[in-house]
Amino acid sequence: MMRRTIPTLIAVALLGFYLFPIYWMYATSFKTLTEAVQYPPTLWPSEPQFHHAEVFQKFSVARYFVNSIVITLGVTAITVVVGTGTAYALALRRNLFVDLILFTILLLQALPASLMVTPLFVLFNMAGLLNTPRFAVVLAVAAKSLPFFIVICRTAFLQIPRELRDAALVDGNSNVGVFFNIALPLARNSIVVTAVLIAIQTMGEYVYSRSFIAKIELQPLTLGLSNFIGAQQTDWIGIMTFASILVTPILIVFIFLQRRIISGLTAGALK
Amino acid sequence: MNRALDFVRDRSGFEMILIGLSAVYLFLFAGAPFVFNVLMSFQKVDLFNIASIDRPFVGFANYQKILANPDFWLIVRNTVVFVALSSVCQLAGGFALALFFMQDFAGASWLRGLFLAAWITPGYAIGQVWKWMLAGDTGIANYFLRSLHIIDGPVYWLSDPSLALLTITFVNVWLGIPFYLLLISVGLSAIPRDLYEAAELDGANAVQRFCGITLPLMRDTLLALVALGAILTLQQFDLIAALTAGGPVNSSNVAQFWSWQLSFQSYQIGLGSAVSVLMLLVVVVIASIYVAATRSERAA
Repeated sequence: MMRRTIPTLIAVALLGFYLFPIYWMYATSFKTLTEAVQYPPTLWPSEPQFHHAEVFQKFSVARYFVNSIVITLGVTAITVVVGTGTAYALALRRNLFVDLILFTILLLQALPASLMVTPLFVLFNMAGLLNTPRFAVVLAVAAKSLPFFIVICRTAFLQIPRELRDAALVDGNSNVGVFFNIALPLARNSIVVTAVLIAIQTMGEYVYSRSFIAKIELQPLTLGLSNFIGAQQTDWIGIMTFASILVTPILIVFIFLQRRIISGLTAGALK
Repeated sequence: MNRALDFVRDRSGFEMILIGLSAVYLFLFAGAPFVFNVLMSFQKVDLFNIASIDRPFVGFANYQKILANPDFWLIVRNTVVFVALSSVCQLAGGFALALFFMQDFAGASWLRGLFLAAWITPGYAIGQVWKWMLAGDTGIANYFLRSLHIIDGPVYWLSDPSLALLTITFVNVWLGIPFYLLLISVGLSAIPRDLYEAAELDGANAVQRFCGITLPLMRDTLLALVALGAILTLQQFDLIAALTAGGPVNSSNVAQFWSWQLSFQSYQIGLGSAVSVLMLLVVVVIASIYVAATRSERAA
């Protein structure tokens, strides 16, 4: 019994220590200003305060939220619509051509957004796309998440037995029919989870939004946080409250889908 | 030639359309900008001619200006330190944790998965949390370290030029460890248990088993992971923007942030794209190592 509980306790302690910053963000967001800056700091807020509603209303968090959601939905939609079929087609067989495409996709996945943002900015500017800056961000971020999506969903399609496809073809299904009637339903869960993972990442996107969206009315939550910091430099309670408004929905989704997100990530990275 | 024929014969038009969709999209928004970037790095690009196609070519002038910048070598050194130190520490930390979680105890895989909660939070937001924790006078980090008598007075982790780079590296390691932990765990669980049992019967101790079985069998996975970790660290922008913005006086600046600053803060877009081109070459080399390593892993 002891042999099995002691490692569990150590693991819980390690995890608690590791995730302390997330706890500290929430703890600070519930403190009063005097308590937050007092030395020595208190580990638990002595008189918990809710600043969240106030910050939410005063700093137009709702508007930033809507922009984040618009961008996230756009990126996720483009990625899933464009990427799913490609992932399927690349899982059907293995030859030099497929290897070459996979290599290119992995290369594209590695290109840092902060380096691609310069040429994209100039190109989008020339094409007039910066007049619709949220759309420009969607296009750029989708190009970044598409390779990632293809790599992970391909491993899901690879698990569908060949015989199933062959049998459907013999039964008179066309290639198109096999994709929509057999492959898509079987890979549906993986597609949904990967899409959620991409949505989570897009909610936290910063580089492209910061570089493309000058109008405050169109900026997402991450930029809302940075505007807030610009205006309230040392209001750490406000900053932690704002940060927690951004982080909480992401953490909730993660906790619900933890197992599936992890298996998706590990399958994609090494295969 | 045979392969080319096979490829035409056994590929349906439908598959080509499916692949073509992504190919066109990625060409438009990744491939073409990549090439366009190289072109821009040989041009004079500023706010006045940003909208026109016809821009003066300046040869290698942008590259010369970058190399002549007094901070060039500082930023190169910072980038190397940031990437190398991050990769080594993430690997070591992730490996140690993965070995710990390989023990059979209640809740092991569930608790291991929860580490990812940090990795999944937006870098810019969690960077602000760290900035608050690392604040010199009111930060909790200094309080802990002082209580443990590791430091005597407040340490200014982010505004001390000799510490800023190491501090952002530390936070980046913290952020990356869960990713390593998970992927190393996958690799470890693929090693057959009976290898260890046989070695134990032969009298090999834990260290010998680790060096004789675990390390050699994990070699390709680890190489792939180091490359992948380096790629992720080279993409790190949000943490730097949140913590130091490259300062004080470039002491924590790295190439991927510098390139962005040149383009979007001082509007020297030609210079920004020259730095970007140099860094993208590095990324392409590392990514090729990663792909090669994952290939050989599958073959093994």
